[in-house]
Amino acid sequence: MQSNRSYYWLVTLISLPAFLWLVPTLWMLSLSFQPNDVLARTTSSTFFGLIPLPFTLDNYAALFSYGQTPVWFLNSTIVAVGMTLAVLFVSTTAGYALARLSFPGKNFVIIFCLIGLMVPEQAVFIPLYTMFADFGWHNSYHALILPRVAVPIGVFLMMQFFKAIPRDIEEAARLDGVSWLQIFWHVMLPLARPAMTTLAILTFLYAWNDYLWPLVSAQKREMFTITLGLASIQTNFAQSEGLGRIMASGVIATLPVVVLFLLFQRYVVQAMTAGGTKG
Amino acid sequence: MAVYGWSGKRLGQKSSAALLLTPFVVAYLAFLVIPFLNGIWISLHNWNLMAVAFDPNAKEFVGLRNYERILWGKNIVWSPAASPLVQWSAAFVLLSTLLLTAFGKISRGTAVLVGSIALILFVACGFHPGAGGRWYDRRFWPTVGNTILFVALTVPSITIISLSLAVLVNRESRAMAVFRTIFFLSQVLSVTVVTLIWQLLFSPRQGLIANVITLFGGSPIHWLTDERFAMAAIVITTVWWSLGIAMILFLAGLQDISRDIYEAAALDNAKGWRAFRHITLPNLKRTITLVVVLQIILHFQVFGQSHLMTGGGPNDSTQTLVRYIYQTGFRDSELGRATTMAVFLFVIMGAFSLVQFLLGREDKD
Amino acid sequence: MKQIILATMLAAGFASPVMAEDISLGRFFGACENAGSDTKTSVGEPCIIQSIINAASEQIDGVTVNTLPTDWGNYYDQLKAAYAGKTPPNVHVMHRYRVAEFAGTGALADLTDDLAGAGIDVSDWEAAAKAGVTYNGKIYGVPMDFHANLWHVNMDIMQQAGLVKDGKPVLPTSVDELMAQAKLVKEKTGKEYLIGDFSQFETGVRVVMSLIWQQGADLYNGDTATVNTPEAKAAIKVLTDLFAAGYADPKYNYTDSQQAFLNGEGAILINGTWVVDYYDSQAADPAVALKNYYAATFPILFKDKAAWAGSHMWAIPAMLKQNDPAKYAAALKVLAFINDHDGDWARTGHMAVRKSVLASDAYKALPHRTEYATTAGLARTMPPSKHYGAIQDTLNREFQAIWLTNKDVDAALSDAELDIQDLLDR
Repeated sequence: MQSNRSYYWLVTLISLPAFLWLVPTLWMLSLSFQPNDVLARTTSSTFFGLIPLPFTLDNYAALFSYGQTPVWFLNSTIVAVGMTLAVLFVSTTAGYALARLSFPGKNFVIIFCLIGLMVPEQAVFIPLYTMFADFGWHNSYHALILPRVAVPIGVFLMMQFFKAIPRDIEEAARLDGVSWLQIFWHVMLPLARPAMTTLAILTFLYAWNDYLWPLVSAQKREMFTITLGLASIQTNFAQSEGLGRIMASGVIATLPVVVLFLLFQRYVVQAMTAGGTKG
Repeated sequence: MAVYGWSGKRLGQKSSAALLLTPFVVAYLAFLVIPFLNGIWISLHNWNLMAVAFDPNAKEFVGLRNYERILWGKNIVWSPAASPLVQWSAAFVLLSTLLLTAFGKISRGTAVLVGSIALILFVACGFHPGAGGRWYDRRFWPTVGNTILFVALTVPSITIISLSLAVLVNRESRAMAVFRTIFFLSQVLSVTVVTLIWQLLFSPRQGLIANVITLFGGSPIHWLTDERFAMAAIVITTVWWSLGIAMILFLAGLQDISRDIYEAAALDNAKGWRAFRHITLPNLKRTITLVVVLQIILHFQVFGQSHLMTGGGPNDSTQTLVRYIYQTGFRDSELGRATTMAVFLFVIMGAFSLVQFLLGREDKD
Repeated sequence: MKQIILATMLAAGFASPVMAEDISLGRFFGACENAGSDTKTSVGEPCIIQSIINAASEQIDGVTVNTLPTDWGNYYDQLKAAYAGKTPPNVHVMHRYRVAEFAGTGALADLTDDLAGAGIDVSDWEAAAKAGVTYNGKIYGVPMDFHANLWHVNMDIMQQAGLVKDGKPVLPTSVDELMAQAKLVKEKTGKEYLIGDFSQFETGVRVVMSLIWQQGADLYNGDTATVNTPEAKAAIKVLTDLFAAGYADPKYNYTDSQQAFLNGEGAILINGTWVVDYYDSQAADPAVALKNYYAATFPILFKDKAAWAGSHMWAIPAMLKQNDPAKYAAALKVLAFINDHDGDWARTGHMAVRKSVLASDAYKALPHRTEYATTAGLARTMPPSKHYGAIQDTLNREFQAIWLTNKDVDAALSDAELDIQDLLDR
């Protein structure tokens, strides 16, 4: 084990880059507490602008004066949670099948899935849009969730993970007469918690910050996500005249995701449970 | 074992697999494959986004003409010295590969892979417009070049930095948890906010960077309006923004390496750098491939940074492929051309990812 | 559950003998939550437009308006996607330069014969405003404003340089005078003469275009690009000479240029009409270095009277006119209402498009409006083209390449000409 001294050295060593890393975010936080008309003239009033002086809460108050902000939060939450659950379901099932079960055409399915990884969003955007319009699906939660469910990245990630789990765990269960589906559910899924958490964080983030698709799909204000809603409030040239408010909306929109990350990060960085895997 | 209610006991391996794959395959076909095939179909047409919506007959089937108009030109000729630097380096690499293979210094697989990349570069960079000729779209290939440059700068930087950070902060302690959060924090911001902050940071007038430089007596860099720095600026922004996920993936990968191995190695006096080189790296191979491929795919699609920070400029030096696709499709409503470029992007992302896969596989032998 | 829905539907169907038309309205300008419906006191673009819309919803019998605000940057993406999906808003705002594209693809309803019936007097519109909403001889929208580039003047700096006469800034009437003034300002005050966003937003293109038009030339003519011309070179030289002598800085973006102007770092800022009221209020703030503010019309440096101006306008989708005459009539009423409130909208700083409004005392009483009243007579834009957006971006790219990356003027102009010709040929 590391001695205390080298540990403290390490902490000191990382502190500098960590601080530098944090500076843009701190700046954003500081700007969000400054009045817009001051920011229109200078963004570096006190200590490079890193200290919010003059101080105001107006930017936040203005955001919450929009009656629909809570609705937008709710929409974002529904969409992000819905998408995350769907992606987890689809990816773990397919990932497990591709990693651990043998069936004819498996390599074909894997390659087929990998190819999908390279399809740029722009190539499917319009066809998808017109398809949803034909079905009359726009302005709904499922329109915001469904196009993002089949992410090959998720399947790929889970497949890689399941592959790394030693065979003997599974074989022991098979000898006990446990079915493949039971192994998946009772043995594999619990083991997959770190990978699933990673995938969940990735998906949730993606869903939360997703912009172009919700923009065209959700035209009604009641269906806006928070990212969309906050963007719709902005005036033209808001970066020059309403900078503080933009920063405040950035903070507001980001906060839930940060909290979520703080809650779940320990699952990512956690020694694997008993009977864990070896590389 | 306990009794689990309905257990699917009668399901064999094949039917279990089929059952488990169904949700993915259905969603995948419906929301990705079919729209993509539809996109390829569009790329074979002269197809205006709005005109076709009002009158389905407004599209015109043009076969591969969109591909010709974008990729090719009038009177294009080939010469071995069109872009001497790239071509001759490629030729040098090709020759060295041949020599090294002849002397048995490298394996045949590596040789074929590296050799064919060099050959493709040598041939592809040799095309240029001859006398009186021109590219039909003079901006397309430079845009491809910018995009590849962006990927070439971003992916290795992110991979190396995030891997080092992951190794350093991979400990259970409060301070490390704080560090992990800090490095991940930037990742949760949306592209609008990230590009806005960095635009301000880079501002030569009021930007933090300029202010600090001026404080030490330097003169501020015009990051976003100087051809030499604009690409660097969006790469820096991207590294800052998207390093978090790579770090998380590496952290998850590091969890899979058993402590026992390190302890055993420590007995052999393999610590620090040696342990990293001989234990961590080999065991992380799968994760590294994953991270690199994911990033290649992600960063080939770079859009917001270029669109919002530099507008592709100055002088097109940060114009990227997806921005070009976006402009062609949405600003100009030319869906046919836009999807053609998207299909091309699909092909080169595929090629780069394939190379990465093959390299990953190669090293294992 | 089913019964409840059914009952509600029946109730809704029978209880309202006079069907109220619900008009969906798509717009940018930003959102305003508590705009009210008092069109005289609301402040700022988002709230002024929203108060007019709210008033329309309240005051027009049998019409309610449901606003769908969206963000600026991606407005047209959303709008085009909505058209492609056949679900466009019943009424929407757009820029005049998009008319060729939208009307040309059959998206917009031809309003020519229906405006008078709706109470919209076309003859009251300024000629340039009417031209902006006309495509192939038909009218496709109701113009709401001109937004032109003005010369926003810091009078104190001009005073120091001796360039104020009778309380008005002395502005150049030729290129030589411009250079002489710039030199004077630099010598007397050490400050920059001209500030503007020449590195990001289209300010530079709009200035160069204006100077090209002032020489009687244009950037394309029908299907032929005419970019590489002596007139274009002369126009660009005006800016590059200013940059070379240090009288202006090409590297400022929008935020930089505005900060510089408010902080009193230059005599003149080139920016749109939309900031007049904002600068006026800033100049009143003791913390701001800019004290005496004047909004001047873009000067004529060559022979012809011309300066770039855009217009915001309101349009109705063609499919609404075809499929739902009742709703189309209601949408026209909304357009008429907005037209009636042109004077209220002009409180944003944009110029009104109706002659009667421009001549009214209420309009003239607005801050600085008389200072740039001549702007309406100069308003000019490029010839209509489906590719306007791409053409403007091409010019922006190549012009900026000239002053940001020292690209050779000839090379830049011939590249631009080639690219624009390609666009026109498509």
